[in-house]
Amino acid sequence: MIKNGLIATLLISLFTAVPALAHTPLCSCWDEGDGTITCEGGFSDGSSAQGVIMYVNEKNGTTLVKGQMNEFSEFSFKKPAQAYTVIFDAGEGHAVEVDGEEITE
Amino acid sequence: MKAKNLITAGIAGLIMAATPAFAHFQMIHTPEAAMKKGGTIDMKLVFTHPFEAGHTMDMGTPESFTVLHKEKTKDLSSTLKPVTWQSLSNSGQAYETSYKLRGMGDWIFSLTPAPYYEASEDVYIQQITKTVINVGGSPTDWDAEVGLPAEIVPLDKPYAIWTGSTFRGIVTSNGKPVPFAEVEVEYMNHEPMMDSNCFAKEAKARAPQDSFITMGIKANAFGEFSFGIPKAGWWGFCALGVGPVKEYNGKELSQDAVIWINAQDM
Repeated sequence: MIKNGLIATLLISLFTAVPALAHTPLCSCWDEGDGTITCEGGFSDGSSAQGVIMYVNEKNGTTLVKGQMNEFSEFSFKKPAQAYTVIFDAGEGHAVEVDGEEITE
Repeated sequence: MKAKNLITAGIAGLIMAATPAFAHFQMIHTPEAAMKKGGTIDMKLVFTHPFEAGHTMDMGTPESFTVLHKEKTKDLSSTLKPVTWQSLSNSGQAYETSYKLRGMGDWIFSLTPAPYYEASEDVYIQQITKTVINVGGSPTDWDAEVGLPAEIVPLDKPYAIWTGSTFRGIVTSNGKPVPFAEVEVEYMNHEPMMDSNCFAKEAKARAPQDSFITMGIKANAFGEFSFGIPKAGWWGFCALGVGPVKEYNGKELSQDAVIWINAQDM
């Protein structure tokens, strides 16, 4: 029983570990030209980013917007007036930061 | 009279003999294959001899020009504008367009040109061509079969090849592999100048002998080929006469499948 539990735990950790080990997180954002920014996320093996948590932060780290990648692996938000950074947070060690200054039309 | 005939025959013989060494290649060219971010890319559609930046053929109005992205196909035929492309030896009718890549993923551009009459061989040539562009490293469509009658389906991402590694592909005719297909390989040896519609004069490499200008290789029994890429830049692969249509305007038609790949140095 204990053994089975251990195996189950090992299996679970294997499964949860796979994306973190094998894939590179990817995120690209662009300015829609209508006051909004859209980001698209994904992984280097082509898997979806649906549900990945997204942060739009001020330079001092204060979160302005928090959201999630939708079923199309996209996330849109109103372009902040101040300098900002977008964070695609796919888990520890697997975050992508996009500087607002690099986001163009 | 006799002497003149002999000379004519000699010249004709020379032209015939020279033809295989200078392979035709339909280009769909844009400078970058693996882009960091999206944006508008410029494209040139030129039917030429890329290793030598040689004779450029006049293209007729293409039968179709499409882009496939995230499993959706869009017709881009109406965006094509005629231009004159200058080779090192002549000029020919070509086309250009631009396209906005939005977001991430793969975009497969496919061109079905009008059949071209090659007088020296008395045959028509139709090179159905693919070029794959990626943005942001997200792989979405590169290995898809577009469904072209003559098509090279890549087994390696055509935009992510290190110099010194290999490119593999499967030659298909109506979706079926073509065993032992004849494939020509040529290096884009003169940089296409996007602003001036011409090839750069300087060659990047020199061929020690004609076998190195257009390299002839063959697919295996499964229609699969591989080729080691010795130099960074664009490489064209052309499977000869693999398409199902064999005749056009009462003459022989060679329906070829072309794919372009881009290698970068480590």
